[in-house]
Amino acid sequence: MDFGFSEEQEQLRRQVRRFADERCPMDRVRELMDSDDAFDKQMWASMAELGWLGLAVPEQAGGLGLNWEDVVVVAEELGRSLLPSPFLAVTTAARAVDLLGSEAQKAELLAPLAEGTSVVTLAFFEDSDVIDPDGVATTATADGDGWLTLSGTKMFVPWGQSADKLLLVAREADGLSVFAVDSAAEGLTVEPLQLIDTTCRAARVSLDSVRVAADSRLGAAGQAWPLLSRALDAGLVALCAEMVGAADGSLQLTTEFAKVRQQFGSPIGRFQGVKHRLAEIYVATESARSLTYYASWAVDHLDDAASSVAMAKEWAAEALDRAGEEGVQLHGAIGYTWECDAHLYYKRGRLCRNLMGSPDYQRERLLAAQGL
Amino acid sequence: MDFSFTEKEEAFRNEVREFLAEHHDSEGVRADGADIESAMDKLPKLLAWNQALYEKGWVGFSWPREFGGSGGGIVEQMILKQECGDARAPILGLSYMGLAWVGPGIIQYGTDAQKKRFIPPILKAEEHWCTGYSEPGSGSDLASLQCRAERDGDDYVINGQKIWTSLAMWAQWMILLVRTDPTASKHLGISCLLVPMDSEGLEVRPIKAMNGETPFAEVFFDNVRVPVENRLGAEGQGWDVTKHALANERSSIAEVTALHHNLDDLKSMAGECRLNGKPAIEDAGIRQRLARMQSTIEAMRLNGLRFLTKQLRGEPIGAETSVNKLLRTEMDVETGRLACDMQGGHGVLTGKSPGAVQGGRWQKNSLSWPTTVIGGGTPNIQRNVIAERLLGLPHDS
Ligand SMILES: Cc1cc2nc3c(=O)[nH]c(=O)nc-3n(C[C@H](O)[C@H](O)[C@H](O)COP(=O)(O)OP(=O)(O)OC[C@H]3O[C@@H](n4cnc5c(N)ncnc54)[C@H](O)[C@@H]3O)c2cc1C
Repeated sequence: MDFGFSEEQEQLRRQVRRFADERCPMDRVRELMDSDDAFDKQMWASMAELGWLGLAVPEQAGGLGLNWEDVVVVAEELGRSLLPSPFLAVTTAARAVDLLGSEAQKAELLAPLAEGTSVVTLAFFEDSDVIDPDGVATTATADGDGWLTLSGTKMFVPWGQSADKLLLVAREADGLSVFAVDSAAEGLTVEPLQLIDTTCRAARVSLDSVRVAADSRLGAAGQAWPLLSRALDAGLVALCAEMVGAADGSLQLTTEFAKVRQQFGSPIGRFQGVKHRLAEIYVATESARSLTYYASWAVDHLDDAASSVAMAKEWAAEALDRAGEEGVQLHGAIGYTWECDAHLYYKRGRLCRNLMGSPDYQRERLLAAQGL
Repeated sequence: MDFSFTEKEEAFRNEVREFLAEHHDSEGVRADGADIESAMDKLPKLLAWNQALYEKGWVGFSWPREFGGSGGGIVEQMILKQECGDARAPILGLSYMGLAWVGPGIIQYGTDAQKKRFIPPILKAEEHWCTGYSEPGSGSDLASLQCRAERDGDDYVINGQKIWTSLAMWAQWMILLVRTDPTASKHLGISCLLVPMDSEGLEVRPIKAMNGETPFAEVFFDNVRVPVENRLGAEGQGWDVTKHALANERSSIAEVTALHHNLDDLKSMAGECRLNGKPAIEDAGIRQRLARMQSTIEAMRLNGLRFLTKQLRGEPIGAETSVNKLLRTEMDVETGRLACDMQGGHGVLTGKSPGAVQGGRWQKNSLSWPTTVIGGGTPNIQRNVIAERLLGLPHDS
């Protein structure tokens, strides 16, 4: 029985935190969020060099062969610093390739991904923005020998505008399949979405009769869902870790402010209307943390981690939403300014709350998983 | 992370299961829903259960062997509690406060003579304890307490009043906080005494609570004499003894098995009750609340496992346990409310009423939450603890 991180994992955490402090302090976060693609290629290359992009990629495919727990350690620290990068996108895509791909496909896709030379992202969501196979309307129809045609519209494709490879999920006669497709393919259009949180990026990807070779399919035709859903769940856990980190970052920012801002002759952190709210955020964040850490273990070790993941998302979203909102409010008017960092956490909260299923949706999912 | 158990731990789990199969008759005494009166009816069975546990050395499971415990580790202790909880077995020992904090306090601060005198009867459930901390003027601000004890030869002479003393009418002993030095600072003038409840000059006046039961009492002291050797810890050390005791209380509150039972019962009730013309389980609002309850219990379980891991790694745990206490208080109020809401109009019927649902169990529940919500430190005090000790915000007093 050991529900904690190892010394190596704590070292990794310190490494990520130091990296974020040095390479991407808030000034840099702001520069990136105001830039075109928010993508710092040099920083990305350094992250690849440190091995973070291939943390959970098997060693024979060029990764470190570690666990999802390790991915969560990195994601949490990146969330704390709001560091803009496609880390979650490629990590989730790597998981999908690892679960679904043949050895040859893994070798082809995962090595450049881990090296940071190829940005791969998973395009699953459409109008349906939750982890539900029925929401996939994009079709893949046979088009001559060894070829298929993809048509449809993918939404919320994480960092789609920076990706050179897309893992497109489409419906065939027997069910869902995943195709690895060049983002430059003919008929494929990538349009950036304008998100409420500009430290993150996502795109809409339109597929207008995109021709793909049958051997770009990962796994058997129409059989992707069981494994794909596991990859999505793993990606969701990493998102939860980012949220927990961001909630902690927001709590820290607001707590430090409450210690120094003086009104009525005393730091505002002395007033219970302030300190009790911060205490409640602490309770929500610690609980979300416990649920997220457990879910990170569950996606590696349990056949069905969906319930654990749903509970983690429910709590992480609410913890960050609360930390972000109170962060703005407890700063007073300064919290409403562009200059104060409080709104950056708030916006991250508003983004993540609805991505991959709102807290309300997760609660439904939890009951449904029990047949209720 | 590793959520597996060692072979030794699994063997221990089997031993617990065998013990339960032999000694726990599930029809007889169930842990849940036990109010004081029904507990009294079941006393003979409960005493037999305590005796069987005692013979096994499992009453004071983690206490040192020399005092009749098992010297058991915290993982085994968790397994023991889990298995007993899953089987809906009674509490692990009947001398409730004796086990929760009096015993641990005596083991840490007591003299050899005190340990010999007091520990065995706690384990055997021969003596019950009550806790005389709160006073009319001193609740959350416990350290302001005024009940006095003056030294007179080899005795202390106690004068003053305590209140909200749970089980005062049934206990043989009280662990009492008194002011022995009115000139010392608030926290340093306090001492801890072990007082027989049949002392001359000690009077107990029961107080009725909003659920109709009489769980606690006022206790008056009129020149009550106890020998100096009944002092626990040094004179002026009473506050330390108490802090230790309350820390024990907070960790003992983090039990989630009973909450799971409640949740299971609510889920099955949601299939049976009709609300707005359809089963309650089909109501979107009820579904949200049930799921919320489940994820809150899971959060408490996992928070608890993280604290346990810290303990196993030899790291101190302190104020973090207030996290689960706060989650727990929300749950305890919500449980009764949700259950009554699912019953719709029937939610207003108490146990004695025609048409009452499940014997009025949930109505009783929704009138009993103050035990956990107010007793042992109110939510506001827990929030202060978190804000001040964990976030480093300034004290408000
Ligand atoms: C069922 C039950 C059993 C009990 N059993 C025992 C027992 O066996 N032995 C024993 O000694 N005591 C017992 N108690 C007493 C319990 O410990 C106290 O009730 C508790 O500590 C609160 O004290 P109080 O009731 O005086 O409320 P107060 O301290 O007067 O508080 C009243 C309200 O003010 C709030 N408040 C107080 N101070 C602050 C502050 N600084 N900041 C913000 N809010 C504040 C509180 O949160 C509360 O809501 C029991 C209580 C109950 C309900």
